[in-house]
Amino acid sequence: MTTSDPWRLVGEVESLGLVSSSMYELVVGLEDVVSFRPGQFCMLNLGGGREMVLSRPFSILAVDGNRVTLLFKAVGSGTRAMATCKPGAPVVFLGPLGQPFPSPDTATAGQTAPRHLLLAGGVGLPPLLAWQRAWGREGDLYLFGGRDGGDVPWSLVSEGWRCSVDRHVDVPRNVDAFVGNVVELAREILGSVDDEPRRVLACGPLALLRAVTAFAGERGWDCRVSVEERMGCGYGVCRGCVVPRADGEGYLTACHDGPVLAADAIDWKCFGRAEGGSPPVSAIGCNRPEQDTKS
Amino acid sequence: MMRRPDWLPFDPGGEFRLGPRVLPGRVWTASGCFGYGLTGRDIKASDGGSPFDGLGAVVTKTITTSPRQGNPPPRIWDAGSGALNSIGLENVGLDRFVDEIIPALRQDRVPFVASIAGTRPGEFGDMTRRLVAAAADCEHWHGVELNLSCPNVAHGGVDFGRRPETVRDCVEAAVAEVTDRIVLAKLTPNVASIAELATAAADGGAHGVTAINTLLGMDIDLATGQPVLPLRRGGYSGPAILPVALAKVDEIVRESGLPVVGVGGIGSAEDALKFFAVGAVAVQVGTSQMNDPFSAAGIAGVFNGS
Ligand SMILES: Cc1cc2nc3c(=O)[nH]c(=O)nc-3n(C[C@H](O)[C@H](O)[C@H](O)COP(=O)(O)OP(=O)(O)OC[C@H]3O[C@@H](n4cnc5c(N)ncnc54)[C@H](O)[C@@H]3O)c2cc1C
Ligand SMILES: Cc1cc2nc3c(=O)[nH]c(=O)nc-3n(C[C@H](O)[C@H](O)[C@H](O)COP(=O)(O)O)c2cc1C
Ligand code: FES
Repeated sequence: MTTSDPWRLVGEVESLGLVSSSMYELVVGLEDVVSFRPGQFCMLNLGGGREMVLSRPFSILAVDGNRVTLLFKAVGSGTRAMATCKPGAPVVFLGPLGQPFPSPDTATAGQTAPRHLLLAGGVGLPPLLAWQRAWGREGDLYLFGGRDGGDVPWSLVSEGWRCSVDRHVDVPRNVDAFVGNVVELAREILGSVDDEPRRVLACGPLALLRAVTAFAGERGWDCRVSVEERMGCGYGVCRGCVVPRADGEGYLTACHDGPVLAADAIDWKCFGRAEGGSPPVSAIGCNRPEQDTKS
Repeated sequence: MMRRPDWLPFDPGGEFRLGPRVLPGRVWTASGCFGYGLTGRDIKASDGGSPFDGLGAVVTKTITTSPRQGNPPPRIWDAGSGALNSIGLENVGLDRFVDEIIPALRQDRVPFVASIAGTRPGEFGDMTRRLVAAAADCEHWHGVELNLSCPNVAHGGVDFGRRPETVRDCVEAAVAEVTDRIVLAKLTPNVASIAELATAAADGGAHGVTAINTLLGMDIDLATGQPVLPLRRGGYSGPAILPVALAKVDEIVRESGLPVVGVGGIGSAEDALKFFAVGAVAVQVGTSQMNDPFSAAGIAGVFNGS
């Protein structure tokens, strides 16, 4: 796979199907071929007109010529509209965008290619599944976490993936699912000490990324996370999608500097809303300078 | 190519004069929605076009004298018929704009208008003077757009841009520094009479006004009962505000007679024509340009037949 410039292409929905109780697989056919690297994303505008005022970001799972496959969950107005779209519905696609996950060859200075530990939660699966398909090797470990058995897209994680579920319901009889979160599963498999360092790649909800970062930090492992932030443009012009920098010097953008970032480049204390509907961290003492209503 | 409507007194595709300048086109990108005019050049389309094709000007992201980090995220939200934003004027500051952005724009031959914001009238003059010193020989630099909706420390936090006298003073300070560049005053719609502000800008010697900046807006996340933006309220833009923007432009044209650059909700050539119909001399594309990097170039293409 080679890097490629982003393209703005029109196209249409080719197919839509469920791959778990809550996860959809969407295939769009575009007017031209595209390529991507695992971890890159696209901005998708369903309707192609102005039904969506802002396009929505989605990781790219696969590209086959002019056909692009995405996985998504219906969480709000835009994704609900996508979940009910029909083949032939027009789309506008902008991609591939952003920085990909490193390939195994991009070893840290002076080291040989490390073994990898991939952790995906929910719709964090596509970029890591794409990475496994492109670069996976013997010795790498692939872990996927879902809410319960129904939430896991079993057909997609059949090859080499181990799964964790929060609740042990609807798990097919012939599979072995760990009860707990995906980081607990990693601890279970790797034990408290590991022989060889691994590079950790993760994508999923913020709580997962925090836990993975802490886990990798304990062992001193290189950790790359794919972050989510609300996006305006997706191509680096609006400064909408910012992620606080670890050095306190302002922000990185999820769309241009990311979405894949080194975990230690992020100020985790100031990143994201506190879970469970509490006030945003900005309102609970994460002091960064300007605070006004101006655009 | 679109047939020019009989009622339109000018060719929407050609170059045009505004104050002391001739600009290459009437379709511009709006401040804050296309960065500094340096990003997006690598984006391709199947017809071989570029997002910069046919643009009359890129109005660069508003800069302030010192860099600003901007507001905490989330900063942007699709509120249904429009977008809410709370970027907080994150920008690189005047020094980097002069040292890095202007040389790159000059090299890429991007026609641009620099948007600036200050906290007192004299600062608009000082910033303009720096720009003139740095770009006087750059034929692609057409002038400044004064973003007059910044909190004014000198007046107890009341937006400067809402007081006609300050609007006049800011414009006057900038106009005093230029000879052959445009000074545009960008007006806020969040006032009782926008025409009064335009008249004040005319008194200060502005070559025109840009209208409108975002409307003050808000949305609630029903899952939490909390505002979606950490700072509660933000700027509302996009398709929903087009009729409001059109009414404001109409009011300004009729009451002040100043040339108006229309902005608000424009996403198609038809939308742009509505602004020309009420008397705007040029238009800017904001939210739609974020949504689609070819939005403004596409509209320009309809007008100039490419
Ligand atoms: C780089 C990137 C890659 C992504 N890849 C995928 C993917 O492969 N599959 C997938 O299902 N989703 C992905 N997302 C998230 C997806 O973009 C959002 O779910 C979508 O924009 C929600 O739109 P909506 O209109 O349905 O929701 P809204 O009505 O706008 O919001 C509904 C809920 O979703 C949350 N939300 C909305 N946008 C985001 C966002 N950008 N990040 C985090 N939470 C958000 C909101 O806080 C809210 O609680 C990705 C996001 C980013 C930034
Ligand atoms: C994300 C975003 C950032 C903006 N930043 C600025 C800015 O820095 N300076 C400014 O004068 N206007 C700014 N604006 C306002 C736009 O230039 C424009 O006036 C407004 O959005 C209305 O036009 P639209 O509906 O086409 O977006 C911003 C708007 C958005 C959506
Ligand atoms: S979404 Fe606009 S800069 Fe990232």
